[in-house]
Amino acid sequence: MGGGPNIEIVEDGQRESISAAGHPHLQALRTVFREERFFLILSVFIGVFSGLAVVCFRFAIEWCRIYLLGSGTQLSTSRLFLAPTIAGLVIAVLAIHFFPLARGSGVNQTKAALYIFNGYIPFRTAIGKFITSALAIGAGFSLGPEDPSLQIGACIASAIGQRMRLSRDRMRLIAPVGAAAGLAAAFNAPISAVLFVIEEVIGRWTAGILGSVVLSAISSVVVMRWFLGSESLFRIPPVELKRPSELIAYAILGIVGGLASVLFGAGITYFRPKFKGMAPWTQYLQPAVAGLLIGLIGYLGAPQVMGAGYEYMDEAIHGHFTWQFLAILAGLKILATLLSFVSGTPGGMFAPTLFIGAMLGAAVGGAEHAILPHFAFSPGTYALVGMGVLFAGFLRAPMTSVFMVLEVSGNYSIIVPVILANTFAYVISRALQPIPIFDALTRQDGLELPSMEEQREENILRVEDAMQPPTGPVIDGNETAGGAAQVFERTPKDVVLVRLQSLGWSNISRDEVTTLIKEGKGGERIGSILENRQVPALHPDHPLDMSLRYVDRWQVVPVVNRANLRELVGVITQRDVLERYRDFGGE
Amino acid sequence: MFKIPVRVRFPFPVQREIVTLALLTGLAVVLLIGVTALSRVFHAQQDALAQRWSGRGEADLKANRFDAAVSDFRASLRYGEDSFSSQLGLAEALIGLKRSGEASAYLVNLWAAKPENGIVNRELARIAAANGDMPGALRYYHNAIYAIWPGNAEADRRNTRWELIKYLLSIKALAQAQSELIALSAEIGPDVSQQVSLGQYFLKVQDDTHALAAFRLALSVEPHLHTAMAGAGTAAFGLGDYSLAQHYLRVAAAQQSWDRESASLLDVVDQVMRLDPFRRQISDADRYRAVEGVFATAGKKLQACPAVAASPIVPGAAQNLGDAWKQLQPQVNTRVLRRDQDVANRALDLSFNVERQAGSLCGSGSASDAAVLLISRLHEGS
Repeated sequence: MGGGPNIEIVEDGQRESISAAGHPHLQALRTVFREERFFLILSVFIGVFSGLAVVCFRFAIEWCRIYLLGSGTQLSTSRLFLAPTIAGLVIAVLAIHFFPLARGSGVNQTKAALYIFNGYIPFRTAIGKFITSALAIGAGFSLGPEDPSLQIGACIASAIGQRMRLSRDRMRLIAPVGAAAGLAAAFNAPISAVLFVIEEVIGRWTAGILGSVVLSAISSVVVMRWFLGSESLFRIPPVELKRPSELIAYAILGIVGGLASVLFGAGITYFRPKFKGMAPWTQYLQPAVAGLLIGLIGYLGAPQVMGAGYEYMDEAIHGHFTWQFLAILAGLKILATLLSFVSGTPGGMFAPTLFIGAMLGAAVGGAEHAILPHFAFSPGTYALVGMGVLFAGFLRAPMTSVFMVLEVSGNYSIIVPVILANTFAYVISRALQPIPIFDALTRQDGLELPSMEEQREENILRVEDAMQPPTGPVIDGNETAGGAAQVFERTPKDVVLVRLQSLGWSNISRDEVTTLIKEGKGGERIGSILENRQVPALHPDHPLDMSLRYVDRWQVVPVVNRANLRELVGVITQRDVLERYRDFGGE
Repeated sequence: MFKIPVRVRFPFPVQREIVTLALLTGLAVVLLIGVTALSRVFHAQQDALAQRWSGRGEADLKANRFDAAVSDFRASLRYGEDSFSSQLGLAEALIGLKRSGEASAYLVNLWAAKPENGIVNRELARIAAANGDMPGALRYYHNAIYAIWPGNAEADRRNTRWELIKYLLSIKALAQAQSELIALSAEIGPDVSQQVSLGQYFLKVQDDTHALAAFRLALSVEPHLHTAMAGAGTAAFGLGDYSLAQHYLRVAAAQQSWDRESASLLDVVDQVMRLDPFRRQISDADRYRAVEGVFATAGKKLQACPAVAASPIVPGAAQNLGDAWKQLQPQVNTRVLRRDQDVANRALDLSFNVERQAGSLCGSGSASDAAVLLISRLHEGS
């Protein structure tokens, strides 16, 4: 029926039909429920559900820790060895028989959902991730709750999307929306979560997805804060940069952090396939053995490396450890995380990365202060910058690393050291380990997901790379057809650009001018003849792909100055474009 | 008339979306209720654990088991990270372990949250004092003195000021200590022990006037309090009021035979009273006897300290003090003194000169020597 949807009102057995076309409330409903807006509403629900899930996940981790390791800070020897070992056995059985997709950190699985499985993630994965990660982290495995939270959020979003039967495009995007919600709630840092998902999972900024990601992240953080309070992860003492010369110290921290990132990443990428390649029966024992060894590290005097370790990061920030012990803790945490992760125990890499960064940062700061006492030393500042350094160097998320530090510290005076040190770490890590850790893990799993770093670094061709200088004549729009014929007499070109009066451009061919003369229109203005046939103009910085939209239709496309649309800076033809692409392929 | 709609059926797909949203809303409400219940259980457990560990920490702190207290308070903070008392307890335990750097980080955090808290300011002052940061210590001590204290705020403020005074004395900032003592004297009231302490600290900053006032206030409440009596005697002695000093010190020495300090000071006072020729309302005969006494004391000093006897009267002079004394000695008697006032002046000048030089060359001497020195200082220039 032509008038739009109908409403049936049923009363006392009578039925009457009303055309909804002109009904203002129904019109409003239809507008609201256009898919893109509906997607935004769904994002809020995804955020709420993810926030609730993350809150429960935090409760579960805490309860596991209290009941498995005890409530105090001094752990008994029996618990140190038994809790992670037995938990490792249980986790192995659960991961092998019930939740095989729960292994790993969760970031890659979310990316795979986006790029391979059209947004589909089995909800069972969320349940498995929840149980196994809570058990692992609570029992003292050196893993964090953030990446599992990210994956749980993505799973919830995917389940809602499936239920709502969203279009394929929307389904693909829904997993990152949930991922942002999960990560934001886990970190209590919505900006960092949004940036990480954009930077590492989606890889591009688009208005359509950005709104949903932001909405879900904020709503999940609101829910999380409702239950767990609004305090940030760390209690940061006042930090400030006292002298510009201290930046040298932070640059050194960036270099050390970059090298540590490479070591950490190389360890994971080297040992993970080796452990995965062992006999199948060993898969049952690997988490247990890893747990036993982590318990041994705790028994030998470093129980700080067990679990996510946020409370110990806080202590490092407050200068509770000597720089030598901090350096030992950083090294042992790398070892413990390696053992935990390569053994296939589900859990996240974010918290261990932050832990290593905090310890390393405070250690480097302390060592620098010992060697050069005139450098002001605040362990909190160095620990914070260290966190950002490892985040940039190991996870290779440079933007997120900066905002993460700012968001958890709430102090913007630290931004200069953070940017400086992160840049050093990122550059060193990229130079020594070209493949980022998440991409390396994906490839080890036999998947070929797009590398966000490669996309960022990709050299794109621009119009200026293919355009030719404007050597030919340009006909003014005020010129008559007769005048245009004279122009063609002086040039061998068959098509000439015409500059129209109204800032626009067009073109005309030799044959068209000849025809106009024959039709007796030699006295008419070219501008008025071509007024309805404008040629779109390009700018030198436009991507070359953009020119493909025009060059098959227009023989010559003008390239003009952005500041003066009547100034011709070059011309581009289909042949120019194809030749440039051919040369680029050869490069 | 109006027809009341009983069932509204929206056309597809709006209907499905509304129903789904309604279901999602319902599910969200149910889950929120469920998680709220779970959260209550969780937080109740966390609070209980925080309290349990905090209680253990307090007990360990009181028993000076600082290591255990640190561990307990850290466990407590794990479950209640904003707990002011646990953070403060942890900082105090760390201070007990001489890990003031770590304690300072916690205290600075606490200070940022509650800059008006007296305990935090006092602890920060102690750390700053230990680190030799005098401006920081003074700032935090003054903050603490005017801060908010739980319980008996007046006593805490007073004790903090006492602590500040002791710190100022330890760094020899006597003038600042004196001004703090004056401020404190206005707060103490007629508390005897506090007044006595105040008087003793006034003596340390050499403010004998305020010291005497404090001791007198204490004596007005407890007239026979020995410490106040001895302190008042010392203060009066410092002020040069020897007759008053003699009164207090005599009583103090009589009260406590073991009080050697008062007894020796009384000896000096007695000698001053005996030897001072400038005392008012004494007869000429007594005055001449005093001059003779001073001169004789100087003579004994010359015998006991030959280095002084060999010293020149004035730098570069040919005659030494021993010879000068011997030359003048025949003239120092009542007969000549009565006739020639100049002899008395010369005898006193020489005696004061001998005692001053003996003080630097041979150290302290008898009570008579000390008395002569005091007399010389008391009447210097007169």
